[in-house]
Amino acid sequence: MAPISWHSVDLSLDECIKCNICTSYCPVSAVTDLFPGPKYVGPQAQRFRDPDQATSPDHSVDYCSGCRVCNEVCPTGVKIAELNARARAEIVADKGLPLRNRLLGRNELLGKLGSFAPPLANFGLHNPLSRFLAEKVMRIAREAPLPTWSTTGTFRDWLKRTAKERRKSDKKVVYYHGCATMYYEPFIGKAAVAVMEHNGFEVIVPEQNCCGLPLLSNGEFGAARNYHRGNVGKLAGFARAGLPIVGTSTSCTLTLKEEAPELLDMDDESSVQLKMATWDIFEWLRELHEAGDLRTDFRTVDLKLPYHAPCQMRAHRIGKPALEIMALIPGLEIAESHARCCGIAGTYGYKVEKYQIAMDVGAELFDFVAAQGDGVTYSACDSETCRWQLEHGTDLPSRHPIEILAAAYGLYDLDRRDLILA
Amino acid sequence: MIDLLVLGAGLSGLVAALRAAEEGRRVKVIAKGMGAHHWNAGTIDVLGYLAGDEQPVEAPWTAMARLEDDHPYQLIERDAARAALTWFQTLTARCGLGYAGADGERNMLLPSPAGAWRPVFLAPAAQAGGEADAGRPMLIVGLEGMRDFYPHFIVRNLTAAGQPARAATLPWSVVSAARDRNSVQLAALLDEPAAQQRLVSALKLVAQPGERIGLPAILGLHRHTEVMAALQRELKCPVFEIPTLPPSVPGIRLTTALRHELERRGVRVEVGMEVIGFHAEGDAIQWVETATSARPLRHRAAAYLLATGGVLGGGFSSDPGGRFWETIFDLPLTVPQDRTQWFRPLFLDPQGQPAFRGGVSVDSSFQPVDADGRPVYANLWAAGGALAHADPILERSLEGIAIVTGVAAADAIVRERDFEGVRG
Ligand code: SF4
Ligand code: SF4
Repeated sequence: MAPISWHSVDLSLDECIKCNICTSYCPVSAVTDLFPGPKYVGPQAQRFRDPDQATSPDHSVDYCSGCRVCNEVCPTGVKIAELNARARAEIVADKGLPLRNRLLGRNELLGKLGSFAPPLANFGLHNPLSRFLAEKVMRIAREAPLPTWSTTGTFRDWLKRTAKERRKSDKKVVYYHGCATMYYEPFIGKAAVAVMEHNGFEVIVPEQNCCGLPLLSNGEFGAARNYHRGNVGKLAGFARAGLPIVGTSTSCTLTLKEEAPELLDMDDESSVQLKMATWDIFEWLRELHEAGDLRTDFRTVDLKLPYHAPCQMRAHRIGKPALEIMALIPGLEIAESHARCCGIAGTYGYKVEKYQIAMDVGAELFDFVAAQGDGVTYSACDSETCRWQLEHGTDLPSRHPIEILAAAYGLYDLDRRDLILA
Repeated sequence: MIDLLVLGAGLSGLVAALRAAEEGRRVKVIAKGMGAHHWNAGTIDVLGYLAGDEQPVEAPWTAMARLEDDHPYQLIERDAARAALTWFQTLTARCGLGYAGADGERNMLLPSPAGAWRPVFLAPAAQAGGEADAGRPMLIVGLEGMRDFYPHFIVRNLTAAGQPARAATLPWSVVSAARDRNSVQLAALLDEPAAQQRLVSALKLVAQPGERIGLPAILGLHRHTEVMAALQRELKCPVFEIPTLPPSVPGIRLTTALRHELERRGVRVEVGMEVIGFHAEGDAIQWVETATSARPLRHRAAAYLLATGGVLGGGFSSDPGGRFWETIFDLPLTVPQDRTQWFRPLFLDPQGQPAFRGGVSVDSSFQPVDADGRPVYANLWAAGGALAHADPILERSLEGIAIVTGVAAADAIVRERDFEGVRG
């Protein structure tokens, strides 16, 4: 395995003034004593980690969820969450990885396997006995909100089926759907395609890999590098041609833009081209709107909608574009969550030793949703795992903002989660 | 397009944003971090000391006449400055965070984390209860093992300054089962009634009739007002807070209240946005750019307010070669460009430090000006710690300058800027 590089984060380390502000805000250390907080496992422990010796002094760093609340509040810009991600990778390099983390890191493989026989796979994954066994053998928490495979075919199946109906246009945009849309939630992709076509674009959906984030957050940097190379190979050409590459999964787009190139030190020309051409879908729609090119033929959507921007949105540093665009929809009353994190943090909350921590971290968000009153029928969040966690913690269905937008255009049924065919 | 983009989410930026929003302007605030308010004791210090004077200022409004002519306070009519603070008091009261002062004229003397008197003009109600008064003895209570809050040390200093006071220490477990909790986490724990009850029971054992009880400023994070009321009701005596070293809970409470109010008015505050560039055409700024995970993000507005703080707030940068510049627009600074002249040999020199007095020069409308006194950009204003000719640390004027200049700059923008025309 290639040595783990520290150069970009080490520079920020000297900036730590030991003010403890990061620790006051870390949602994980607030609910568990197993994690002493960002200042201790980040900047402080870092001084004792020797890059030539792959032994980290402090394994509690594994409890960092990577939510980046600390980065945002640190007054001097220490990249604490990145320090922790690298430290975790060193532990993996040092001790090897449990089978469970290997499996959770392979979203794409799981998605593919399950898609051969989704009902069977769903039953296999979701019946109490197998969840019990999964907990005992794999240490995947029995109650955790695992996704279900789509039983109406994958997103690509739908694309093939409807190829003739897809819009052709001189204006083209590339769609990066990611694994969750492909195998579990093809309706997110349908809503996205419908919204982009409605705005006059032809949507190109090239072959693509998993972005590799689950691997990165489980510390498997080698495998993640292969995934990212694959994506660069398949997508950078579109970037060179000047086409925007938009995604509906906040974490996938973040990985293409920054996580993969930075954590893996991939700064070759093609990686940079891909990075610069990648957009969160609402970031891109906001850009359209600012240029006066976004259609605003919305119908009234009479909903009170608690909206939570996922942690990865914080790392994008683009504000909350979904909130800005949804604010254009007449009738829609949005309540903005200021909860720090839903707790799930990718695959963190699936792990049996972290499930309860994740639920305790999420309590802040679940309480916020509950406080919005009885008339609320959905919550909204851009990230898939956060939506699953939200549904798990609130008993309320959760929607991607792109579904809300598609519904506002009259293209999508929020309840059935399917397109309304004209 | 929005009317006003405020750069910086410290006190001056938030206050200016609110003021402009109250006037119906469309405002957005962007900031690199949320660090600064953790240092803020939550008090509004208007003018506590004059350079060269050992004695604290008693009546800040009168004392202002003795500031130099180019001091930010001298750019504003005294009545307007007073009105700005009254507005702030009304505003915070509406947010459920009452501020109290002596009589609108004088400073109060309140205990610092070390038990020294600090001259303060307005304080959160909870801190105002700690005003110096030899007739009302204090009981200063800490938690065993709490970092940077030592009741006996505080009491020694208070007694030496003529304030009758006693010290007591409660077991840590009264507030928290877990060790190693900082002030913010302790305050959040005390939001819970059970923890308040434990604290009340423990305090009843040490308090004596006729005393007022001074505690570290951890009495509730989100439910501070309720916590204060519950303690005083149960203990049947006045309770007050003494600010702690950072992270400071009263500073966080103030920022949270202002941000709620901004949100209620539809003003977005975006944190984590570091400005890395801007573009001007002629003398008008067209946009500023912030760093993202990929391409820079452009923010366009009719008017821009620089509220990034000075040396302390991170609004200025310097390099080892001794160059010193305003970080975003590279505005001219009044600081000596020769680094050796920045600091006098004595750090606490009663004359103050030249580097701290350095900053952005503005005209009477709070527009940054060049050496000839002409506005650098037609649509740029500045407020707060970035302004030149003040030494907020020595003067103890940080929050006063932030509020007064923030309000004045917002008013100038609202007055001078024909937004309808710009909107087209
Ligand atoms: S990334 Fe989140 S969980 Fe990890 S140290 Fe920072 S605040 Fe805590
Ligand atoms: S907030 Fe930043 S500077 Fe403060 S202790 Fe944490 S890492 Fe260090």
